[in-house]
Amino acid sequence: MDFEPKILGIACNWCTYTGADLAGTTRLQYPQNLRVVRVMCSSRINPSFIFRAFQLGADGVLVGGCHPGDCHYNTGNLYARRRLAVTRKILEFAGIEPGRFRVEWISASEGNKFAEVVTEFTEQVRNLGPQTKFKIEQLPTPEKI
Amino acid sequence: MSINFKQIEEKLKSEATKLLEEGKVGVVLAYGKGYDENHPLPFVARKASDVENIVFNEYCTANMARYIVRYPRGTKIAIAVKAADSRAVIQLIQEDKVKREDLVILGIPAYGMKNAKTGEVVDSKTTCGMYNPVIYDTLLGEEVHGQSVVSPYDVLAEYEAMDKEARWAFWKKELDKCIRCYACRKACPMCYCDPCFIDQNKPKWGEKSPESHGNLMYHLTRFHHLAGRCIDCGECSRACPVDIPLYLFHKKVAKDCEEMFGQAAGMSIEDKPALVNFRVEDSDKILE
Amino acid sequence: MKKTSINKISDLAAELLGKGTLVAPVKEDAGFNFREISNAGQVDLNFYNTLMSPKSAFFPQTEDFVRYDKNKSVLDAQCVDLNLKPVFLFGVRPCDAKSFQIMDIHFSGTGVVDPYWKKRREATTVFGYAFDINTPADGADFYSTLNIGAADPEGSDVFMMKRGDELLLKAVTPKGETLLASLTSLADASADEQKYFDDTVAAGRDFKTRFTCVDDKVIAKKLEDLFHKTEFWEKISDACLSCGACTFVCPTCYCFDICDETLFSKGVRRRVWDACMFTDFTLEASGHNPRTKVYQRLRQKICHKYSFHVRKYGVISCVGCGRCTRNCPVNIDIFSIVDEALKA
Ligand code: SF4
Ligand code: SF4
Ligand code: FES
Repeated sequence: MDFEPKILGIACNWCTYTGADLAGTTRLQYPQNLRVVRVMCSSRINPSFIFRAFQLGADGVLVGGCHPGDCHYNTGNLYARRRLAVTRKILEFAGIEPGRFRVEWISASEGNKFAEVVTEFTEQVRNLGPQTKFKIEQLPTPEKI
Repeated sequence: MSINFKQIEEKLKSEATKLLEEGKVGVVLAYGKGYDENHPLPFVARKASDVENIVFNEYCTANMARYIVRYPRGTKIAIAVKAADSRAVIQLIQEDKVKREDLVILGIPAYGMKNAKTGEVVDSKTTCGMYNPVIYDTLLGEEVHGQSVVSPYDVLAEYEAMDKEARWAFWKKELDKCIRCYACRKACPMCYCDPCFIDQNKPKWGEKSPESHGNLMYHLTRFHHLAGRCIDCGECSRACPVDIPLYLFHKKVAKDCEEMFGQAAGMSIEDKPALVNFRVEDSDKILE
Repeated sequence: MKKTSINKISDLAAELLGKGTLVAPVKEDAGFNFREISNAGQVDLNFYNTLMSPKSAFFPQTEDFVRYDKNKSVLDAQCVDLNLKPVFLFGVRPCDAKSFQIMDIHFSGTGVVDPYWKKRREATTVFGYAFDINTPADGADFYSTLNIGAADPEGSDVFMMKRGDELLLKAVTPKGETLLASLTSLADASADEQKYFDDTVAAGRDFKTRFTCVDDKVIAKKLEDLFHKTEFWEKISDACLSCGACTFVCPTCYCFDICDETLFSKGVRRRVWDACMFTDFTLEASGHNPRTKVYQRLRQKICHKYSFHVRKYGVISCVGCGRCTRNCPVNIDIFSIVDEALKA
């Protein structure tokens, strides 16, 4: 059976989420592997969300925010940029392919870009195959002793 | 030249006596006698008569900076610091956990400190490998010069060169050993949150029982929370009863932060911690 | 009484493996630990004492009670039942063997019986193993202070000691007796060896670790008197980090927490070790926490072991194995504190 990756999208309310809406209303086609969660700002994303998403079975995580300088809260995404850069390094050093995590700046008017990014990222994750390292397959049973 | 521990001890005692007698500080955070020579205890002198219990020898590895946050704000504290410890103090000042004017920093230049558990010398492999305190009011002893300076990040080469699968296997094996005693976070001068995210139930960030997934969540998040703040004292790894080399991950994150943000933790009280700061000209390259 | 040669220990291990589950010290990165043995050759008696205590053989760090599915009825929840083969806990030091008797008080002795503890205890045969009395004790141990001999068979079902290249085994309880009689890889010991065994047990009583013996009651009373001397407790807890390393390695610490772990709709209710040194240990649902300070928690730990326990059950809840001292990140030594209290 073909592998259909599960991708978590975390999109900021003011730009990327609206951009996704635009992609929808303009009837752009993009893969349905993305499940989007809306947050108020990319800086609202706690890095633990990303670790947890991988544990709960995500094959890839895509974060979307306003372009630097355009954040609704002025500087949120400038903090987020640093923070998520660290998250990426941590995932990489723990052994997760860096290709499974991506941050993109997509504005409210960039419906096209949204569809392109999702298509491209989905393909990329599909090529990487299922993410099994962090995934919790089943409730752990205690060790013997 | 080698470190004269006896002389440092004497100076530490006389400074402590002076500060306490003159009423300049309420407490002196230093080292005291433990159950034997090789096991000195972190020690707090409150009166001049406590000072006789102060010791300093090569086993005094503890980072006293972690005790600072225990005292109410405004307490005048004198603290004995080695190189890494002084960076922790700077970092705490940056994070506004303590005010510079409330501290009297007694700097100790040292090398050749030993891990009491293993007897191994503590050097740049497990710590930042610096010899002289970055900040101090009084230096107890002479600055160390002429010792070879090794990058604290050299030990990472082997792990950075591993392929992803091997690195994951390595971390999985190591983190699976964790018994969740939380000695690492308690030993860390920068882990002062109450409650710690892992103790929270709503939301519950990770499993409470010691198994792979909860351990992974606890440690990865802790590494993240210490990004740009870990001053590489190595206390977490020395505290760990099951010898997990936490310092490797902390070093890696510290190295990346230094490369990306151009600033090492705890080097100047003028800095802001890297992750609560930004520059407009930060490049998107760091996300690639 | 029986014996075998040390280099034939794997034969004994193989025989025990044939009869059930064998749990023995195995060398790991940070030291020896009791682990289930899969291959008879793994058994290695060249250890001083294990890093973690053997309590996990009866009281594992994680014990599942109930498994459930949130989408199903409560009635479909499954109790986790233990089906144990006979277990052989091999190479338990005398102080640790003694700790099982102390733990029995809590898990079955007070009338409220913990079925998991009881089943594990009944399924297990404890092979005690004497300390070598010809080499000095580790600097952290203080079992002799608590009246435990270096070769004390109490608490074991079978007691073992080394004599040169031989391993002598003697049954202590009827359970041990039956087991020893059924083992074919053992030879009978000579009268000379019997004498050596008894002499060593006696000599072990005079073997000294740190400190001198003090009466339980005296310690208990003294700590009780000191309870409200906040200054004393603050001073001794200046160094304490309030981590859980000491309680997790301790053979007589038995506090636990019941928690639910879930994965989507599936869940399990389990018991995990908790520690009186953790800030949230005493946190109440109202948000009130009676022990917010480090000194209150350390005082609780020490008074519980050396004072409350003596008053309530007549015995100190510590066996002097020295694990907490060895593993304390800041070198706090529990008996030095008691010693200081006695002098205070
Ligand atoms: S994480 Fe470890 S090395 Fe870094 S500051 Fe904390 S204790 Fe020191
Ligand atoms: S000190 Fe070691 S065993 Fe304890 S919680 Fe930290 S990593 Fe785990
Ligand atoms: S509001 Fe869009 S990134 Fe801050």
